[in-house]
Amino acid sequence: MSVRDLAIRYGFILLMLGLVAFFGLAASGFLTLPSAIFILQSVAITGILALGVTCTLVVGGFDLSIGAVATSALMLSAYVMVVWEMSALAAVVLCLLMGAAVGMINGFLIVKMKVPDLLATLGMMFVLLGVQRIPTEGNSIATGMALPDGTNATGVFSPAFLALGRLRLWNVLPLSVVFLLVIAVLVWGFLELTRHGRLMYAIGSNAQAAALAGTNVERYKVAAYVISGVLASVGGILLAARLGRGDVASGNNLLLDSVAAALIGYAVLGASKPNAFGTAIGALFVGILLQGLTMLNAPYYTQDFVKGAVLVVALVFTFALTGQQIRRA
Amino acid sequence: MMNRRTLAALLAGAALAPGLALAQDRPAPFDNPGEVEIALVRYLSTGDFFQAYLSGVERQAEALGINLRVLDSRQDAALQADMVDQAIALGVDGIVIQHGLTESMKDAAQRALDAGIPVVAFDVNVENEKIPQIEQSDRDLARLALEQAIADNGEAWTAGYVYVPGIAPLDRRNETWEEFKAKYPGIDEVAMFGTLDNPIANSVANQARSVLSANPNITVMFAPYDEFAKGVKIAVDEAGMSGQVSIYSADISTADIAAMREPGSAWKATAATNPAVVGEVSVRALAMLMADEDPGAQVIVPPTLITQAQLNDESITNMEELAAKLPAFAHADVAAPDWMPLPSAPAQN
Amino acid sequence: MEGPAIRIRDLRKAFGPNQVLRGIDLDLPSGAVTVLMGANGAGKSTLVKVLCGVHSADAGTVTLDGRPFAPASPAQALRAGVVTVHQNINDGVVPDLDVASNLLLDQIADGSVGVASGRALRQRARGVAEAVGLRLDLGRPVAGLPLADRQLVAIARAMAHKPRLLILDEPTSSLSAAEADRLFALIDRLRAQGVALLYISHRMSDIRRIADRIVSMRDGVVSGLFEEKPLDTAGAVRAMLGRDLSDAAISIPAAGRVILSMAGIVLRQDALPFDLTACANEVVAITGLVGSGKSALAAALFGQSAPLAGTMTLDGSPYAPASPIEAVARGVFLSPRDRRANALVADFDIARNLSLPFLRRHSWGSFIRWRSEAAMANRMVGEMGVICRSPRDGILTLSGGNQQKVAVGRWMSEASRLLVLDEPFQGVDIQARRDIGAKVRATAKDRATVVLVAELDEAMEIADRILVMAEHSLAGEHRNQNLDLSAVMRQVTEAQQGAAA
Repeated sequence: MSVRDLAIRYGFILLMLGLVAFFGLAASGFLTLPSAIFILQSVAITGILALGVTCTLVVGGFDLSIGAVATSALMLSAYVMVVWEMSALAAVVLCLLMGAAVGMINGFLIVKMKVPDLLATLGMMFVLLGVQRIPTEGNSIATGMALPDGTNATGVFSPAFLALGRLRLWNVLPLSVVFLLVIAVLVWGFLELTRHGRLMYAIGSNAQAAALAGTNVERYKVAAYVISGVLASVGGILLAARLGRGDVASGNNLLLDSVAAALIGYAVLGASKPNAFGTAIGALFVGILLQGLTMLNAPYYTQDFVKGAVLVVALVFTFALTGQQIRRA
Repeated sequence: MMNRRTLAALLAGAALAPGLALAQDRPAPFDNPGEVEIALVRYLSTGDFFQAYLSGVERQAEALGINLRVLDSRQDAALQADMVDQAIALGVDGIVIQHGLTESMKDAAQRALDAGIPVVAFDVNVENEKIPQIEQSDRDLARLALEQAIADNGEAWTAGYVYVPGIAPLDRRNETWEEFKAKYPGIDEVAMFGTLDNPIANSVANQARSVLSANPNITVMFAPYDEFAKGVKIAVDEAGMSGQVSIYSADISTADIAAMREPGSAWKATAATNPAVVGEVSVRALAMLMADEDPGAQVIVPPTLITQAQLNDESITNMEELAAKLPAFAHADVAAPDWMPLPSAPAQN
Repeated sequence: MEGPAIRIRDLRKAFGPNQVLRGIDLDLPSGAVTVLMGANGAGKSTLVKVLCGVHSADAGTVTLDGRPFAPASPAQALRAGVVTVHQNINDGVVPDLDVASNLLLDQIADGSVGVASGRALRQRARGVAEAVGLRLDLGRPVAGLPLADRQLVAIARAMAHKPRLLILDEPTSSLSAAEADRLFALIDRLRAQGVALLYISHRMSDIRRIADRIVSMRDGVVSGLFEEKPLDTAGAVRAMLGRDLSDAAISIPAAGRVILSMAGIVLRQDALPFDLTACANEVVAITGLVGSGKSALAAALFGQSAPLAGTMTLDGSPYAPASPIEAVARGVFLSPRDRRANALVADFDIARNLSLPFLRRHSWGSFIRWRSEAAMANRMVGEMGVICRSPRDGILTLSGGNQQKVAVGRWMSEASRLLVLDEPFQGVDIQARRDIGAKVRATAKDRATVVLVAELDEAMEIADRILVMAEHSLAGEHRNQNLDLSAVMRQVTEAQQGAAA
């Protein structure tokens, strides 16, 4: 392997290790188990969203609606428990169904209506931002809130639901981190080890060839958007469990952070393509950066700057060094 | 023709609210409120605060029996200026400008005045002495919260501070924070952080976790915006430090009340102005202008301190109960001349 | 006819070691339509690109009305009076602009017409349109026009330059017969105005309709010039294909029972219906010129688009696939033409490209069985003779011929009832071509094999039986033994009566 190949393959991982070493020296308390677990917890939600968007990137698509799906799930779970006074299970199931339905609609618009992916999911994003506010007339949802009919909502976030975002296994490992790790392994296994994942990569590289090889291209594309929608709703559920209320929010920062993680993932191990492992590392990378910078009292705008710089470096790794034409970025 | 329309409007008004039967006793143009239309031109609209503000505006307009047109620029400064022009073109009788940027709103507000339309501004300085400023006093908000922090924790503590510069109300609250730090040298600010990435509470929680692990000796968190406070509370809970850290904030909502009342909650007190009351006051000040009365160059809506202990003692669970049990929160005797009809229901969320 | 407008002498052009034009001598007279024919790779598109200023020649001279002509750019060629209408119609028009703006596009682009005044623009555009007899609403956006009208707009726009030479590159390839007639009427008009026309086409009906002379190109030289009326179109095609056809000795085995049977198939409007059968242990080649309907036949067999009429049976039971998925499920495999666009997954290695259609076979439930896949890949790399370091090499590291072996081999890793190979020798060196051909014949025993090729000698190398396709129908059938070449040529070039009308 030439130096160039080594740089492409391991450069980004080395960069990350260097960063960890730097923060470890500069910020006391950075190289501790609680700190490490916290980093994982802080990237759990964007990481899960990023794994979903990775699936759409694999089929050569893109999903701009994930942030809005997540905040819609946040509002929906709160509405189900606080206003309808239903159980945690009902809230989780309805959120997952909502995510799947949004993915189906995205897929339908893209595959059957031939709307370009960016436009279809952008439209869906705005639709969701509006829809999630209609039932509460734009208000956040919390126990005791006034309802349009004049009464007050009496339902509460059930402890079981809150545990999804707050419980720690063995008093150490937050449940949301477990979800992140499990979903990362599942998505990685799906994309790398199953024929479905293989065919999705084939579709992303040459959809025409995949179709002429007898692949049901449309079905796989829809499936990718359904996965993306479901994972985004999982992210929204964890968000709701952490916040403990239905916060009105656009989720645009969730979208941007998770897309950044997925794109940084292109550079990990010189993959030059969307991949689950890279996405997980990308999310972790962003988490380490933000944790370290915050511990060093760096103001928020420097964090945006650094996040952007990392993304640019990652894209340079991917595109310039490997010299490959990538289908989508 | 004119008479018949007036009559119809009066009848309609009478049907809506019995109090309006007395409309002819009010100064013009409110003797004929069905003919009056005002516009609310908004810059910020997403979130509980702005929703509550709108509800106050709506209720006061309803009490006056006048028509309200809401123009929402959704954080687009240029669009907001265009919307003022649009309101002028529609021939409204008065305009409330809610937030915005001085640069873009100054000229637009002047154009409205030139067209003979009275204007009041909430939380945006349009640098025009003919335009009354409606303000919730951010300095008073910060002062009330910090005085409570001193009362609870003494004059010397290690502090974390949540702040994003460049946001006018946060900048004003920051001035008070700086004054307090100068006045009480025992306050040691070891970390300043903050972000407006949304969901804000989630992003602030992530930052606060990092800050707490870097500075485990913090005892007071000053988070003068309720989304910040919510995020800090999540982090304090996750770090298992709620016994050690106290949070002081500004603003309040039903969700905040629940968070403050959680058993062992670190969120000790908040200072707040009822945004619905601010909305009511905005319309009342505008109405005074329209009736050729002077509400004053600055109309300040005084804030109220709300402590965890108060909420628990009174078993307050939502904004409605807060308004009912803390009268200072429900009403402001500001811009309320005798003829001014007040909303029938007390102000709530 | 006047004197030659264009005189080309000993024109040469090479790309690297590849001699594409090897001394072209050609005159293009004013007021005449010269049809240029040539197989893929004969050099005709390079010739056109030299004439319209995209490439510059390495050697040789071109004179335009007696003056030297060596354009450095398409814009220069345009100014000198050489105008090209490209095969892809949308290269010639801007769909979002209206007809008037399109007609004056070059003038707008070079600044001699401002876009300012709509009325003045319309006025000038009307002049341009009338000069070629084009009657269209000038305010309509071009996107709303039928293909033929777009073509006419592109030509009218070209005519605004008062060209000396107008080059039309396969202009009718996307037009219906009626639409083509309008184009021919315009060509007649231009011929009468004394323009020299160079018309590139393989459609015999077109050629018979408008050609004053035919030039055939082969291997970078002019291989035939036909000016005597009536034009010898069969001779022209022979000159175009005319290499020594190889005498690959094919021993024709006895055909097995019928596998594919097609009856009354109509591939496009106003084409004649035809029947076709293919048997086990038989390789059937279908040859015909570009645009003769081979692709439509492949699409019908593989479920991409159903024929307009007719029935198909496979192994005696009705066969009407609605998608490639259904076709594959019935054991009908198709290796498509143009491997880069239709077959190869560039991001995948050799093994993954090979296993693509039959991944399920190499899976346990949903999970890929890597060993099974690797074993199959090793076997196919060996059987097809793919020259590579390992089946885990990237597909694009291979030469064209080896890429094609993978593209074809993918469909030979499993047993099929009917194997359709569409242009399997496209962009393939001679050795790879022999390898693929031998492999196809060697494995043909239990299936029917249909090979679609434009080149007659490729058909003769691989087939037991050669069918000739023309005008989207079958024009002839030959056993590949003591082939009557002139009869095949005649069928390749002769349109069936009635079909052209």
